[in-house]
Amino acid sequence: MSINQFNVDCKKIRKNTLECVFKAGSGHIGPSFSIIELTHFIHKYERDFNFILSKGHAAPGLYACLYQNQLLSKKEFFNLRKIGSKTQGHPDRLLFKKIDCSTGALGQGLSVAIGYAIGDKHLNKSKKTFCILGDGEMQEGQIWESLLFLGNNYLRNLITIIDYNKYQNEMSVKDTLDLGNLKKKLSSFNLEVIEINGHDFKDIKKAFKIKKLNKNLVVIAHTIKGKGISFMENDNHWHSAKLNKDNYLKAIEELNI
Amino acid sequence: MKNLAIRDVFGLTLRDLGKKNKKIFAVSPDLKAATKLSYFFKEFPERSIETGIAEANAIGISAGLALAGLKPVVSSFGAFLTGKNVEIRTSISFNNANVIIAGTHGGLIGPDGPSQAGLQDIAVMRSIPNMSVYQPATAIETRKILEYSIKANKPIYIRISRQANKEFFTSSYKFTEGNPVTLNKNFQDGIVISSGNTLQNCYEAVEKFKKLGKKIGLINIPSIKPLNKSKIKNLLRKTNKVFTIEDHNIYGGLGSVILESLSDLDKKPKIFMHGLKDVFIQSDEVENLYKYYGLDSKGIFKFINKNI
Repeated sequence: MSINQFNVDCKKIRKNTLECVFKAGSGHIGPSFSIIELTHFIHKYERDFNFILSKGHAAPGLYACLYQNQLLSKKEFFNLRKIGSKTQGHPDRLLFKKIDCSTGALGQGLSVAIGYAIGDKHLNKSKKTFCILGDGEMQEGQIWESLLFLGNNYLRNLITIIDYNKYQNEMSVKDTLDLGNLKKKLSSFNLEVIEINGHDFKDIKKAFKIKKLNKNLVVIAHTIKGKGISFMENDNHWHSAKLNKDNYLKAIEELNI
Repeated sequence: MKNLAIRDVFGLTLRDLGKKNKKIFAVSPDLKAATKLSYFFKEFPERSIETGIAEANAIGISAGLALAGLKPVVSSFGAFLTGKNVEIRTSISFNNANVIIAGTHGGLIGPDGPSQAGLQDIAVMRSIPNMSVYQPATAIETRKILEYSIKANKPIYIRISRQANKEFFTSSYKFTEGNPVTLNKNFQDGIVISSGNTLQNCYEAVEKFKKLGKKIGLINIPSIKPLNKSKIKNLLRKTNKVFTIEDHNIYGGLGSVILESLSDLDKKPKIFMHGLKDVFIQSDEVENLYKYYGLDSKGIFKFINKNI
């Protein structure tokens, strides 16, 4: 594993995401860019897994990672948000079988991930299940139902990741409905909580290698919304703003790849 | 099984099916004693999941189990489960996940009142793509529908009653998805269409008309969605008057299904819809409630008699 190569990959993924969203005319760039390293790491280095993007609006980022890892053709990837395409606006398992779970209505992915993990365990499969939640999504009640369940039922094969990019649809999480001391809250649910830099290769690798726990693992991944493009980072305008040609070219130039 | 409540037949049949089919899982949000998933839980604790009072999580976990290749049955009161519309819509239907959702306490359930009773569940569930909707009327039909649903590979909603109903079928009864089931072929003066609990009361009303020399037929609809349109149209062509009877909101239930099915028929029979008129029911004993809402055999007779 070369860290440099990984980081170059992630740059490529961001470039492809920009091109794809620009061509499609819409799509969520900011929320996609905060999950690139996490999503690419899983698809590049993990072998047997279910991947559930509970924050389904980051679909372009997921598709770009699948494309980078040869799990999606160029033609399909660049056919984003079109009738008949595999790359629908939010992950759609009905049209794209490599999607392990259709998502888009927030709050539901972790429950499905728990079902996958219990099912795989019962069937003696060695698969891991990864679930990426948004931080804004943590405001959904169902998330806390599933966390309470996880505090009472240990599933060795499930890794829950919170993409803590500090922003949600309209504004910052803090100004919308603050999550407070998230680590403390989650720990009080009888969960093993670690905090990492969600853009750092070594941090991600370390987090996914943790073994021999007797509590369910929740990774709070501190990330940056719009990561990689200076004028998009931490500017919530880029949650789902339309990318015009000038900004597109400016962003591509900045990536310099 | 003849005199058992529908929910007991559901619970016992699931337990029996669980002996052969090791993929069956039961998921319960704290109501297994009432839904009768308790039979399965007792026999197969390793394939039973208690989520606590968390229906949304129960629905999501069921979807995940199905996507992993198992056959989950999630059950709670239909009013509670189908209230989780967006969870069923996204996690189950949008994944086409092979989950059976058994909504118990459908219809007029008794003193617990409307918050506990499934009164809009059919309307809600049949509006969701990929979702089939079945409702058994009797013990044997319950068993046959569950046997079919366990073998099927798709999302299914089954509306289960907490009461025991009169048996109309023998063990040779075969549930065929989409098919209407004719119980009385004398269609000359009208046809009564029913599903679930109201079938026995409709039967009694039809028998009374028979004594009065009127020829009124009776059709049972166990498969509300899908419903075989050409079959129902062929049956209803034979009459001028159709009476739909349901212990469910008049909007979006059985009556609506029949109206939709006949929409492109050249010569339509008149359709009279009888059910809950967009109300929340009140508390009382089951038989008093069916009487109060005109859904006992006398009330049904009166409704038909007024319009015939």
